[in-house]
Amino acid sequence: MTEQMVSLKGICKRFGELEVLKGVDIDVGRGEVVCILGPSGSGKSTLLRCVNLLEPPEEGEIFVEGNDICKGPGSGTGEQSWELNYVRQRVGIVFQQFNLFPHKTALENVTLAQEKVLGRSKQEARAKATELLERVGLGDQLGQYPETLSGGQQQRVAIARALAMEPHVMLFDEVTSALDPELVKEVLDTMRELAEEGMTMMVVTHEIGFAREVADRVIFMDGGVIVEEGPPAEVLENPKEERTKQFLGLVLDR
Amino acid sequence: MSEFFHQYFDFNYMGEHFWEVLEAFLQNLLIFAVVAVLALTWGLILALLRQLPGKKFMPVRFFTIAYIDLFRAIPILIVILLISGGIPFLEFIPKEIRIPHWFGKPDPFWYGTAALMLVYGAFTAEVYRAGIEAVPGGQMEAARSLGMSHWQAMRHVVVPQAVTLIPAPMLNEMISLLKDSTLVSVIAFAESVLISRELLAESFNSSALLLTGFFFIVIILPLARIVDKLIARNQGKITRGSHIEVA
Repeated sequence: MTEQMVSLKGICKRFGELEVLKGVDIDVGRGEVVCILGPSGSGKSTLLRCVNLLEPPEEGEIFVEGNDICKGPGSGTGEQSWELNYVRQRVGIVFQQFNLFPHKTALENVTLAQEKVLGRSKQEARAKATELLERVGLGDQLGQYPETLSGGQQQRVAIARALAMEPHVMLFDEVTSALDPELVKEVLDTMRELAEEGMTMMVVTHEIGFAREVADRVIFMDGGVIVEEGPPAEVLENPKEERTKQFLGLVLDR
Repeated sequence: MSEFFHQYFDFNYMGEHFWEVLEAFLQNLLIFAVVAVLALTWGLILALLRQLPGKKFMPVRFFTIAYIDLFRAIPILIVILLISGGIPFLEFIPKEIRIPHWFGKPDPFWYGTAALMLVYGAFTAEVYRAGIEAVPGGQMEAARSLGMSHWQAMRHVVVPQAVTLIPAPMLNEMISLLKDSTLVSVIAFAESVLISRELLAESFNSSALLLTGFFFIVIILPLARIVDKLIARNQGKITRGSHIEVA
């Protein structure tokens, strides 16, 4: 069995009266790519945001590389604590809305946290950022501000920004949902390369094609629970659960 | 009618006292400059304290909000009188602080600037807050998810964006502040209103007071136009969507 990178046990999360997650268990091994599918409101984004404690769960345990990140002072409140720093240094996230810093250039977006959090020198940070931006195909856009970049380019800067922190796990939260259709491919290609390089990835997506090709495992969620999971060939081509069939039917029929 | 003009628009009288009034007006500008620097700093500190997250900073947030509410509600004149009429008699405070004569300025100058700073700090804090809250929440999340502390995220990501959104309302506060610098006249600091009132009292002619008003207008009218320009520019920004990402 491969080493566990992320392990979620019995995760529950409520927003007021609304129970978004009702006991979710997921194990993700090193280098594994897990795609999480499901209708809106199924809790898949919330689950992802639990993993790096942007939304600390109310119940359950989260292990990152074997360390329980929900124990100890400050857990469950979103407060700064050693677990928070521990998690954020190991888990990178890319958002649907990119969330690039609009007052900083592409390069500065990627260097800022390197300098402030990792304490890298300006030169080190610049070298790393340049390398990463070249890798995502933006070597000629270093000095551009986000507003002058296309959505696809912005999202690739966001990926480079997360990678600059040298995460061990990457979370992707519907990263292509806000993109024009013709810009989706360049972002998915970047993610595919990352997967091929052996990055551990948890990907919340509506891109069934991407899940089929790249994922090692597909998880289908609905109503705050996991309905079905397994290799993409099984879950996507031959789903057992009625709810999965129904969802895939609607998505694939477009 | 000529009586009216003589009372208010006696240009000879204005000319005679022009330099005296102008010099006093410079004292208003000095009060303004000192308080502007202090209040813009104090307001930012208050705004940041108010934004501290989590349970453990609850008392800090509570007292900050109480301070801001209180000092926005109480008339500035009362604050000025409370300070100038009370602090000098608190003998547990060292004399150099209780009766300050720093940088060659008399104590009423410092009581006045202190009062204006306390009040305008509360007002500018609210303007900063509006700016901070206008920055999309995703910015803080992105910064925090990269491992930055709340403070680092504020310092490098949120506040730099917030301040680009608020120059217009902030300039409005500064216009008010310049006008309110005249309130220090009530504790016998020789700024323009005090000087022109003295002139009114000895000559029964209002022209010096009107001249003082004229000085304020000359400074403030262009500022008001700048506010309009800033608002127009910001509207452009919002419609182009360059600074505010619509989630």
